[in-house]
Amino acid sequence: MIRKRLLRHRWLLLVLAVALAITLGATGRESLSRAQEPGLETTEGPSVSGHVLDPLGEPVHDAEIVALAGGGQETVAETASQGDGSYLLDLPQGHYEALTIEISRPHFESHEIELEPAAMSRLNAGQPVRVEDVTLERRITAGFWVATLSFVLVLLLIALERLHKTTAALLGVALVLGTSFVGGALSPDLFIFDFERALSYVDFDVIFLVLGMMIVIAVIEETGIFQWMAYQAYRLSGGRIWLLVTILIAITAVASALLDNVTTMLLMAPITIQIALTLGLNPLTLLIPEVLASNVGGISTLIGTPTNILIGSYAGLGFNDFLLKLTPGVVAALVVLVLYVVLRYRRSFAAAGGELSDAMRQRLKESGRITQPAKLRKAGTIFGFMLLLFVVGDTIHLVPAVTAIMGAVAMLLWVSPDIEEMLHVVDWTTLMFFIALFITVGALQEVGLISIIATGIGDLVGDNLTAAILVLVWSAALLSGVIDNIPFAATMLPVVAYLTRTVPGAESGVLWFGLSVGAAMGGNSTLIGASPNLVTAGISERAGFRITYLDFLKVGLPATIVTVIVGTLWLFIRF
Amino acid sequence: MGRILCATRGGEGSHRTQDAAAALARERGDELLFVYIVDTSFLNHTAAPLVVDVEGRLERMGRFQLTMAQERVADQGVQARVLIRRGRLRTELAAAAQEEGADLIVLGRPVDQGAVLTESALQSLASFLEDEAGVKVLVL
Repeated sequence: MIRKRLLRHRWLLLVLAVALAITLGATGRESLSRAQEPGLETTEGPSVSGHVLDPLGEPVHDAEIVALAGGGQETVAETASQGDGSYLLDLPQGHYEALTIEISRPHFESHEIELEPAAMSRLNAGQPVRVEDVTLERRITAGFWVATLSFVLVLLLIALERLHKTTAALLGVALVLGTSFVGGALSPDLFIFDFERALSYVDFDVIFLVLGMMIVIAVIEETGIFQWMAYQAYRLSGGRIWLLVTILIAITAVASALLDNVTTMLLMAPITIQIALTLGLNPLTLLIPEVLASNVGGISTLIGTPTNILIGSYAGLGFNDFLLKLTPGVVAALVVLVLYVVLRYRRSFAAAGGELSDAMRQRLKESGRITQPAKLRKAGTIFGFMLLLFVVGDTIHLVPAVTAIMGAVAMLLWVSPDIEEMLHVVDWTTLMFFIALFITVGALQEVGLISIIATGIGDLVGDNLTAAILVLVWSAALLSGVIDNIPFAATMLPVVAYLTRTVPGAESGVLWFGLSVGAAMGGNSTLIGASPNLVTAGISERAGFRITYLDFLKVGLPATIVTVIVGTLWLFIRF
Repeated sequence: MGRILCATRGGEGSHRTQDAAAALARERGDELLFVYIVDTSFLNHTAAPLVVDVEGRLERMGRFQLTMAQERVADQGVQARVLIRRGRLRTELAAAAQEEGADLIVLGRPVDQGAVLTESALQSLASFLEDEAGVKVLVL
């Protein structure tokens, strides 16, 4: 029977096994490279070694290093800098009068080092020479403008909903790679990066974590557990709307900490509309608080929001880091949110009142029942184990992506959902969106825009950690209201890495959590600020209740301000 | 006896249309059929994981809305049938009208800023339905 099941699921299992292998391989390579870095092996004979850095102090890889003799006319040796920025030029034995080391790389000013007489003597004696670290200055090229404008175009197309997010991001990839390959042949200044380099920016931990979680969530959502919880909230509240909205906010926040926010709202919104209509309430008075709670609640775990997944993977933060360091702040923000919502909608809540027929009661009950109890028991057990692995994963160096993939495989083997259905529920467009986004943002890193933003913010905040937290949290919150917070967070990752390294006190990681808080809570300020907002508006519209931009702004903006204040205060208290 | 097809989503804005369709059915002695279209095209611009059976959830919500509409017109002495279809609003409405042999399609006019369809979008929909289904459309 197990054999049959394995055969039936062989294709998806194969995909998941490959995913697991790649993820484990990537993790292994990372550990290995960490163990071996930095530096180069020593060699016998004359050689020149050094390090190449960018203005942020980050290593510059693939810089072309050439040793020139004869007044710069004769190439004696050449190499490229490694991932840690180091290089080693092995020189042929011989006598050199003078030697110049020329370092060049696209999007940087070239740099020359004239070796001093003492160094020349060592080389001529067949000994190695270590030269000073070189910081290459950035150069604004035509490629810089292409990458920057491509990214702005992607943001605009997403914000204005002119294209599907994935299509917009793929357009960005096509523009930067097309310019690199076609334009680069015409002018070196148009070259941004090659294909291999572009792919190196893709974070496969993120891709496989999202892939695994999609399968896990798809199995759990079929059971109807979240709709059942919403229905129980309705029953427990006994017609007291303030209590109902409090329970719904709590359920939504917990659900979005465990699932992604869009899934949470797709599950919660339809039944919430039915509950609201049953109680004679305008559904917007429950839906908008729920969507606000989903954006806030997701902050408390690594898997709760796409921005946390990005931050966690880039900064090496685990499940526990988010859970322990942010949950109290999130709970405080949710308490404030409940108070705000009850106050904001007090008249609507007071005016509520409806009589329910048996037929309507039956319909609501049907919508709020657990559809597959046996599957829920199995899926719940696996998900429980997954949460345990997420928690203990930090101590046993188990990356979240591996846990997610193992959970997905366990769901397929034990809970045994339909294979075709599982392949269908994996949202490949989302995975493509992330891949395309990584490449588009990678182009910005390559041409130096991220470096300019980082040094700009660094100059603004100086050594003041308080200023850094305030600038980061509030700029993230404000910008997330007008542009999609996923590309925004992806862009800010190297910036926060720089600030974490340079601002005294930031080594605690507070700025990573600041980015998480600002980007997620800021999405509450406008209808277009976060995907769950738009999805909820779409569902509400299907029930005949339109959420206009202004409707959302009136409630969402004040909610954003109060919750971001609470979030900022928590960061100051905790760190 | 003819058949009136009334497209409805529910919501306060639809009550006027439902009442008017019921009055018309009673007056003409026609059968009244409420239709809800599960249209998930609003998700086309979302690159978030869509692992949920959205159509199934919306169908349940639609049945709830249609039950409300049925009860509403039953209070006015009109027994209405209900129908749910999945797909694009325009094409599914036209198909429903043809398959059900409707004589008249009733659509609700936007009543305020919160209305789902604008006046121009509504007129465009009405023209499409008349051309495609060959059924008269009444915008109330």
